[in-house]
Amino acid sequence: MKERLAIIDGIRTPQCRAGGVLRGFGADDLGAIAVRELMLRTAYPESDVDELILGNVAQPVHAANIARVVALKAGLPTHLIAHTVHRNCASGMQAISSAANKIFSGEAEVMIAAGTESMSNIPLLYGPQMTKLFASLARAKTLGQRLKALSSFRFSFLKPIVGLEKGLTDPVCGMIMGLTAEVLAREFQIPREEQDAFALLSHQRAAAARDAGRLAEEIVPLPVAPRYERVQEHDDGIRDDQTLEALAKLRPYFDRQTGTVTVGNACSITDGAAALLVMSESRAKSEGLEPLGYVRDYAYAALEGNRMGLGPVYATSKLLAKSGMKMKDFKLVEINEAFAVQVLACLRAFESKEFAKQYLDRKTAPGAVDPELLNVNGGAVALGHPVGATGTRLVLTVLKELRRRNQNCGLATLCVGGGQGAAFALEVT
Amino acid sequence: MSSAWTFQEESSGLGHLTFDTPEMKVNVFTAEAVAELSDLLEDLAKRNLKALAISSGKSSFIAGADIKLLRTVTTTADGIEKARLGQNVFDKLAALPYPTIVFIHGACMGGGLELALACDYRVVSDHAKTILGLPEVQLGFIPGWGGTQRLPRLIGLEASLSMILTGKPVAAKKALKIGLAHVMVATEFMQAEMERLSQDLAEGRPPRLSRRPPGLVARLRKAVLESTPPGRHLLIGQARKRLLEKTKGLYPAPLAALDVLEATATGDIQAGLQMEAEAFGRLIVTTESRNMVRLFFIREALKKESGVETDVEEKHVQRAAVVGAGVMGGGIAWLMSHCGIPVRLKDIDWDAVTKGMATAASYYQQLVRIRKMVPDEVALKMHHISGTTDYRGVESADLVLEAVVEKMAVKQAVLAEVENVVSPHALIGTNTSSLSITEMATALKHPERFAGMHFFNPVNRMPLVEVIPGAKTAPATIASFVAFARRVGKTPVVVGDCPGFLVNRILLPYINECIWMLQEGIAAERIDRLLFDFGMPMGPIRLADEVGLDVGAKVTDVLEAGYGERMQVAPLLKRLAAEPDTTGKKAGRGFYVYEGRKKSVNPRVDALRLELAREHALSARELDDQTILRRAIYIMINEAARCLAESVVEKPDYLDMAMLMGTGFPAHHGGLLAYADTAGIPGVVETLRRFAEEFGPRFAPCERLEEMAAAKTLFYKKNGGTDNDG
Repeated sequence: MKERLAIIDGIRTPQCRAGGVLRGFGADDLGAIAVRELMLRTAYPESDVDELILGNVAQPVHAANIARVVALKAGLPTHLIAHTVHRNCASGMQAISSAANKIFSGEAEVMIAAGTESMSNIPLLYGPQMTKLFASLARAKTLGQRLKALSSFRFSFLKPIVGLEKGLTDPVCGMIMGLTAEVLAREFQIPREEQDAFALLSHQRAAAARDAGRLAEEIVPLPVAPRYERVQEHDDGIRDDQTLEALAKLRPYFDRQTGTVTVGNACSITDGAAALLVMSESRAKSEGLEPLGYVRDYAYAALEGNRMGLGPVYATSKLLAKSGMKMKDFKLVEINEAFAVQVLACLRAFESKEFAKQYLDRKTAPGAVDPELLNVNGGAVALGHPVGATGTRLVLTVLKELRRRNQNCGLATLCVGGGQGAAFALEVT
Repeated sequence: MSSAWTFQEESSGLGHLTFDTPEMKVNVFTAEAVAELSDLLEDLAKRNLKALAISSGKSSFIAGADIKLLRTVTTTADGIEKARLGQNVFDKLAALPYPTIVFIHGACMGGGLELALACDYRVVSDHAKTILGLPEVQLGFIPGWGGTQRLPRLIGLEASLSMILTGKPVAAKKALKIGLAHVMVATEFMQAEMERLSQDLAEGRPPRLSRRPPGLVARLRKAVLESTPPGRHLLIGQARKRLLEKTKGLYPAPLAALDVLEATATGDIQAGLQMEAEAFGRLIVTTESRNMVRLFFIREALKKESGVETDVEEKHVQRAAVVGAGVMGGGIAWLMSHCGIPVRLKDIDWDAVTKGMATAASYYQQLVRIRKMVPDEVALKMHHISGTTDYRGVESADLVLEAVVEKMAVKQAVLAEVENVVSPHALIGTNTSSLSITEMATALKHPERFAGMHFFNPVNRMPLVEVIPGAKTAPATIASFVAFARRVGKTPVVVGDCPGFLVNRILLPYINECIWMLQEGIAAERIDRLLFDFGMPMGPIRLADEVGLDVGAKVTDVLEAGYGERMQVAPLLKRLAAEPDTTGKKAGRGFYVYEGRKKSVNPRVDALRLELAREHALSARELDDQTILRRAIYIMINEAARCLAESVVEKPDYLDMAMLMGTGFPAHHGGLLAYADTAGIPGVVETLRRFAEEFGPRFAPCERLEEMAAAKTLFYKKNGGTDNDG
């Protein structure tokens, strides 16, 4: 990048398991709350914002171009333009890089980059047969035609297509995400026990971070609509009582016979939103602002859909080449925990010379990641993975933790369904 | 003088009649306008027109008869004559030998609707301001120009009852649905449609109904209920029952309207018109009607009142903050969000903030239940409210209202915090029911931008806001708070900074007095029943429970501290409020015990009463109904006169309106001071003197009352006029 992108500040909602506390909020509502809170906390003049870019994966049917709906529900000015971006699980990061692109091409100066997801509200759909029946009913003019259309009905037509499940399935390789994780378990021969241990650590670290108030620094508590009888202050996926024994009891979820991936060592389906206020470093300087941090550089990379979990390795390798940075420059690393096994596979690939040669077009391995610097406040296994918002959250989390540790440079990276990866190099000074 | 009506005839035989009252903002039927129309219609009847189109030359249709004209009526005979006059004019209109069509955009009220009803076809614009109604009962009389006759004959008895008995107008869409209007057109195309529809009518093509005919069930229901004597009997009976429940029989106008409708819904219209005119004549001269008309004028005057004498610029509030998310804070946040103003709601922890949002959500829920809103709209409005536990997001507000607990020290501390974070130009207000604004302002560096803003509970239902300037409040601040209150749909009254301000200063002695009587052995239910029947929305003892004994005791303490002996808190109140879990309705236990929907007298009240009687060697005494009523009301009159003498409020008019809106003082009495006038000031003073000897010096009539009794003056001018007749 020709200049660093300044992240003035950021905020996120609590992340809660889908179908639970936050089901009364649409993705647009969650996004609006995060964006409004961002603007109120930064007290940055709304009229100086040029555009809002929002990442969202399961775009709700009632909110076409959800970014614009979010802007208006958040109370931003009517004339603020807004558009929605989609790079599946990296949508939240895409919002940031798209903002950077607009800013550094001179088309905008101040942007809101946000991400939101309400996996509670992904609809069930009618299948093609029922859809066809409705269509012929609508076309029917006479009673006879109507009866004929109706007579084609079979109860099996009512079997819904589960939108959530379809969304999590790669239509090209035909695999649901969990099965791509099993591919990596086999490729890197990662046993179930190691995955469960990693999952447990995620919960332990998340619980500690929550108890120490570190997570609260990035969360705005949410009085829960529609009745406001309670307030949600924390992420609700963290299991304080999680044990290896309990994890070991779970049956593999995706490959019931030979698999290793369970609901316990995978991330949960989650609702949540996050928002950042961004501008060029020079603009921030000229306004005398003290940004939370900067995006030094970023990269996206693609690979086979059935190995999508290795996306972070591909993307980070590309980022290192693009920025001239080295793995050891990063004093903090967030690899999104779509699946415990997928993070473990990445860790092995990062330090493998063979992998580098075979897949990354490099002579040496990118370099090992110190497990002590990885996902130090827990990851998606405990905190959940609201797909459209996670990219934004990772950037926020890394910057806040770098400041706490008095370190400068961190990496936020995630895998992307369909076979991509995203990696952001972040700095605080 | 230019005329109100202009007539133009086109070569096609289409006539255009336009109403435009000279030198007035809105069209009203002045005496001249009625006479002119009468002459014009005589002439029109002789012309050979194909059709006549009637419209308004102003931006709205017709506001009704000129109320000032009605106030010149002094006898029933005169009233009947005025009614007959108008009826005859509209009879002429209805009898024209060619079809008539009227185009309605904007308010079409009273006489305006009666004119429209005398036409053959009514076309309405779909504008939000287009409303049609017969509001006469709200002024204490009934429609007198054929409204009670032509409306039921057009839309049926049931729909007419709901329009005439409540006086509430219907919107254009509803008018179309109930058959009051034939056609609804897009406002933007009104002019073009007017030309097209009139031309069509002149060429023999009447307008096509733009509504679907009612379904079978609706038609059957109407046939059974309205076209059979038992059906009509049922309708009228139900309407009467509802009416008596609502008005307790204190308001003669809707009852008279019901009688007229019952007697004349079928049969000869001329006989009906005669009966309508007689009822109109009888009602127009009643005290109730005079009182209600006067209140109408006060309300109009208050709408224009800026609260200050100098010409200052009001500050336009773009974002607001409320500090303190209790029932009041939550209610105020609701109000702001409802009016589209973004509001930051702050309290010390998230549970408190959430409770405030729950209050707001519950007020929205009430609107959903009565179908004024749908859940999606509520969700959108709730997005205007955001919570916080620190001052982030409060800094950018240009109005901060503090609504924390009623303790001077706490309020001052919070206000000082607020002033530290907001911009130097932000308005700062406090929602308090009794604490001194001037004293509170000492906590601020810039007291000139600070004032009191007393909302009443529940915020979503109580229309009044007391705006209280402190000693150092700037005029622009007062004007800004007044404008803000009006913007959120409330009626602001500027009052002086004395303990209790205006409404509580007058109301609490009344509640207190009733508790004194309770202590003397008068049954709570009896006191409540007597004042309820007087017209108060609920009895004073129940009101004390509703307000909360804790809240009430706090305010009465402030009053006692401020005014001394005459506001001495009834010992029974102190004792009862000190009992555990006895804070009134919210705790299920106060003067009454509340179990589900039932309430019964709290046995502790009697025990405490006997305890007090023993301690002070008192014996129970018997009072007659009149004495009970007078002790309750006259103590308010006495305090109200003091408020006027001390200029706590500018005029008797505003005092009466504040009591009406703030306490539900019955409108048919015209307000507290109007009631005093009617009762007779010398008599009131005499009674107060007697009470002072018998029940305690708190009744001693104030100087102002003594002077008035001596000089034989009234609070209002003798003829019922007010200072602000336009």
